[in-house]
Amino acid sequence: MNKLFPTYEVGSLPKLNARVNATNGKRISQKDLDEVKYLSEKFSVDANKALSIFDKNAKHKEVLTNENIEDLTDFNALLYLRLQEGLGLDFVYDGEARRREMYQHVAAKIEGFEKTPEMIRSRGPDSWRMAVCVDEPKLKQNSLDDLILNEFEFVKDNARENIKIPMDDPYMIAVMSDNRHYLEKLRDKHFNNPRKLRYEAKREFTLALARNIIRPQVKAVVDAGARWIQLDIPAATLDIEHIPIVVDGVNEVVREIDGVKFSLHMCYPRRVTLTDKNSYELLFPAILNLNKNVDHLSLELANADNYEKDLAVFAKYADQRKFEIGVGVVDITLEKQQRQEIETQEMVKDRILRAVETLNDEKLIYVAPDCGLRQLSLDRCMKLYEVIAEGAELARRG
Amino acid sequence: MKIGAYLTGSFGQSQELYKARNEWKRGRGSEEKVNEQAKKDAQQIIKLQKEAGLDFIIDPMFHFYYLFQPFSENVAGVSVGPQENWFNNNVFYWRPRIEGPLEIQTGFTKKYLHTEELLKNGSAMAILPSPYSLLVLSDVKGYKSKEEAVTNLGEILLAEAQNLVSKGYRRVQYDEPAIAVKQSLGALTKEDLHLLRRGIGICGKVNGATTSLNTYFGNAGQIISHLLQLPIDCIGIDGTETSINDIIKHNFSGKELTLGFLDARNTSLENPQDILESLKLVENKTNPVKLWLTPNAGTEYRGFTHGIKKLELLAKVKEMYNE
Repeated sequence: MNKLFPTYEVGSLPKLNARVNATNGKRISQKDLDEVKYLSEKFSVDANKALSIFDKNAKHKEVLTNENIEDLTDFNALLYLRLQEGLGLDFVYDGEARRREMYQHVAAKIEGFEKTPEMIRSRGPDSWRMAVCVDEPKLKQNSLDDLILNEFEFVKDNARENIKIPMDDPYMIAVMSDNRHYLEKLRDKHFNNPRKLRYEAKREFTLALARNIIRPQVKAVVDAGARWIQLDIPAATLDIEHIPIVVDGVNEVVREIDGVKFSLHMCYPRRVTLTDKNSYELLFPAILNLNKNVDHLSLELANADNYEKDLAVFAKYADQRKFEIGVGVVDITLEKQQRQEIETQEMVKDRILRAVETLNDEKLIYVAPDCGLRQLSLDRCMKLYEVIAEGAELARRG
Repeated sequence: MKIGAYLTGSFGQSQELYKARNEWKRGRGSEEKVNEQAKKDAQQIIKLQKEAGLDFIIDPMFHFYYLFQPFSENVAGVSVGPQENWFNNNVFYWRPRIEGPLEIQTGFTKKYLHTEELLKNGSAMAILPSPYSLLVLSDVKGYKSKEEAVTNLGEILLAEAQNLVSKGYRRVQYDEPAIAVKQSLGALTKEDLHLLRRGIGICGKVNGATTSLNTYFGNAGQIISHLLQLPIDCIGIDGTETSINDIIKHNFSGKELTLGFLDARNTSLENPQDILESLKLVENKTNPVKLWLTPNAGTEYRGFTHGIKKLELLAKVKEMYNE
């Protein structure tokens, strides 16, 4: 793309309330219906079929058929494509409208995974359904369509702008899962070296996920015409000693797949590490070994608002390896939404120019939110997209 | 020698507790319902510890989310700071913001613990942060030096430990993940060891109870000789991070030794025979006053059911060893 500071979404949007409620057999409020009508008019998406299904649910209390649910999903996906295009993003996707959530969407399709009986607590009351790896992970039969192909084909058929596909990275799945299988497999070999056992077990697990779970999806969408794939690794810096495994996992996914752009999305790096390195510095030097096809990193930066420090390491290593940077310019945290604070176009412009100043190469800069927007209100998501697009335009004018 | 066994940290939540928390989070439930479920689950876990013959009974910590929360929320001069990863876990804590010097105050853990229930069921153990970990994992202002800060934190923790002992607790465990993690990352300095020594020098001895410094999430192998010099009754070592070869180099005479050989962060159930052999080797080589078997950390990382499985394994190995 010749345009300076291209803009993109990172991944998820909150699903339409009306769709979620209808699908779950719950009452659809007038507010939810008004939202559908407003958005479909604003972004010129035909909502007649969706509204008739909502009506069937609301007035007649009929249970939706699978076909109804699929129609609503398609409507949601198309609406989010148009929403992103209409608000000025240069690279779009469907807001992950077909995915339950990032981890379970993939974990549920893996043979060799079992769910833990309980949700595991992560952040305050927040929890996730962990899977236990009890055997070599393999994709369940015929799961590629549901996992990624149907979704991508729909986006490809309908998108008017360029497409960037967000996908899970193998290391992320490894970190969010229980690695029983590989720990048991390697326990005898590393009996007297528990740290080596943990490292090697995680490495084997990550590589198996890369080879058997993520790479087949990547190859499938590349064969179907994908040109930019983003691998999501929010936990890249979680285990400082294991960062080489992150790189090994990515390289196994993208190995010998040419003619496609690969990027990594990373967010909320460890900022308190008990070492003299923190944030994205932790990725170096391991990240220099990434496959050359991985030339772009999408980074959360707005939350910390410390662009100069966070990006300095990329400038420092630029003579060895230059990465395009998708600069996170808007904070997507729930806390900020609760405080009813939001960035302005001028703030976005300023952040882009600070990144340019630090990296000293404007051609490297793309503009994005800090992360996916799933936990925010849809209204706020739209405002964030607007300020991103308008702020990037201001930055182009200098 | 007969070994003892106990749990060392927060227990995994039940699905019912998750549901209550989730409903509350979404504005549909209530804090009361969360507390009711947490209390019910806590009673169950306390009872299970007793039935399993564990030597110390701990509160499963269902009323708070992270180790520092009672301190941050209840100590005057401390507030809740930014969110951070809890070491290399997909779990978060909030950094305490400490505006020191803090006045000595007690009772900050009271509302989070089921003290009465614990005391009815055996020898209760309280778990508090170690002053060094609390120092390095907090944002600290108002002190002339780190030494002054860790001294003040040690005083506060000693006062709370003594307060808990006055209520009937018989053991105090200070959680010390940071020192072992720093060691593992190659970032440990003499100053760190000095601050650790200074903090434990203040709070390591508690009248009426034994004390333990529980290191975890890192390899303590290279710092055992320093740990042995601390004025504390027991040293806890994470056996999922520290090689047994590094443990058996040392003589623990005069100290108790706690070995976290059960991996709280993996659902794999260890072979009891392997653990027995490791324990025997350690006992023969290190000469501790008392040997304890534990999970390496709280079992919260794998949920309620897997936590119970680890608890059962713990009891089984203890029984096998002592037969």
